[in-house]
Amino acid sequence: MADKLSWTELRRLIARRAGVSEKSANAFLNSLNTQIVEALKRDKQVKVNGLGTFKLQAVSPRKSVNVTTGEDITIAGYNKIAFSSEAGVKELVEKNSTISGQPSDANTIDPLQKLSAQAEEIVDLLGDLGQSPNKPEEQKEEPVKEPSVVNIQPSEEAVEEPKEESAVPETPASPEKPKRPKRPAKRKEAAAEPEKTVEPVAEPKEEPVVETVVEPAPEPVAEPIAEPISEPEMPAEPVQPEKPKKKRHFWRDTLICVVILLMILVIAFFFFRDKISDMIHSMVEENTQELVVKEQPNAPSAINMQPSEEAVEEPVKEPSAVSIQPSEEAVEEPAEAEEIIYTQWMKTETITKGSRLAWIAKKYYGAKVYWPYLYDANKDHLDNPNMIKIGTPIRVPKLTKLQRDTTNAQTMAAIERLRIEAEGKMR
Amino acid sequence: MLTKELIGLISTDSGLSKKETEQLLAATTAVMRENLMAGKTIQLQGLGSLEVKERKERTIVHPKTGKRTLAPSKKQVAFKPVNNIKDTLKNI
Repeated sequence: MADKLSWTELRRLIARRAGVSEKSANAFLNSLNTQIVEALKRDKQVKVNGLGTFKLQAVSPRKSVNVTTGEDITIAGYNKIAFSSEAGVKELVEKNSTISGQPSDANTIDPLQKLSAQAEEIVDLLGDLGQSPNKPEEQKEEPVKEPSVVNIQPSEEAVEEPKEESAVPETPASPEKPKRPKRPAKRKEAAAEPEKTVEPVAEPKEEPVVETVVEPAPEPVAEPIAEPISEPEMPAEPVQPEKPKKKRHFWRDTLICVVILLMILVIAFFFFRDKISDMIHSMVEENTQELVVKEQPNAPSAINMQPSEEAVEEPVKEPSAVSIQPSEEAVEEPAEAEEIIYTQWMKTETITKGSRLAWIAKKYYGAKVYWPYLYDANKDHLDNPNMIKIGTPIRVPKLTKLQRDTTNAQTMAAIERLRIEAEGKMR
Repeated sequence: MLTKELIGLISTDSGLSKKETEQLLAATTAVMRENLMAGKTIQLQGLGSLEVKERKERTIVHPKTGKRTLAPSKKQVAFKPVNNIKDTLKNI
């Protein structure tokens, strides 16, 4: 282990490996060393592939006390050389050391270390879990106490055995433990319930070997009151080593399930959002239709007016004039409708730097083409839709399905009209 | 500094060709690795020594949960510089 590979040996090995003379290997090694030092001075770091990295680390000055005089002194900062081996080298060293390092020692120590490590983990787990779930605690307690208690138990058992065994046969029928695979276990509980006076209850069977020996352990520790609670968990004991793992898996799995569920929900939300908003819009439409119904007195009146005009004009004018009239109506009707429909507001957006109506339209309606509506709804305080002052509140009206229908020629015409109106105000 | 630069410097310093230097460096690291694996200490004259040290197991505390666990012992390659190198590099 403490073997040293001397300079000459190293030189020889390298020369043989690389197929060069020892002299050139020597020259190489010498210059390697000097260059590493030089490079450390210059760059503070040298990386040698296949080996590791040398680094110059600064140790900052620190305060200390002169031991003899009690005066405060500062220990000056300095640089030290640190070496960190490459990941591959680390692994090699690690692997090898476990194999050939100190095989005998390692083997004897390892299980003990593992045990103590497990014990610590378990104790920590216990601390974490508190008293809420009894199950895992007790299962974990057992392996810890195993070694110490096992030796003591038999003596107690030996004393109480006869009593218990006599008691046992009486109550084996206790239906509590149907799952119980082990007879001794059944008896134990049966015994435990009727005779709490006899504490170590569980001892009847040392003969059935390890499991029974394991089980007694917690009971003397956990008092008689705790026993009824702890017993239901006993059946799980034989599975002890697996249980905690299973539990962890269980938690992990549930976590994954929850995450997946959430993702599905989110996706579903995005998928159905449009439909939902459409539904809402259709509901809104119903509301607005009432409004429209109220309007209609106006609209029909307009229509009525028109026909009357037409009626007047028609006879006078030629059919060509008639064909113009309806188009005028078509233009006028939506105009009236829109002005009234902005009764429901989604939100009031404040203009920020770089914002524009088209963006707000895209944000709330999903497309920029609807921006003329925004203008229309806010034209009372908008002079120039191209130059809106920062901080200007923009009211975002709710649009009906019809108003958002880009395939509807009338809607498009209305939007176009609003756009022309807005653009007329630009500049 | 990276290995490539190091090779360049060594080749100009020692008068070997770059290719040779590269081969030699590869051979060197291979030899070093093998010997470190065997648990040997490698002495580099005028620089220091590389040796395998054992880090003892210790309890570590998880910073978030405060859980204490046992970090297993492990082997590490440590570099110990020669005194005069250590001193020259102490104050740069």
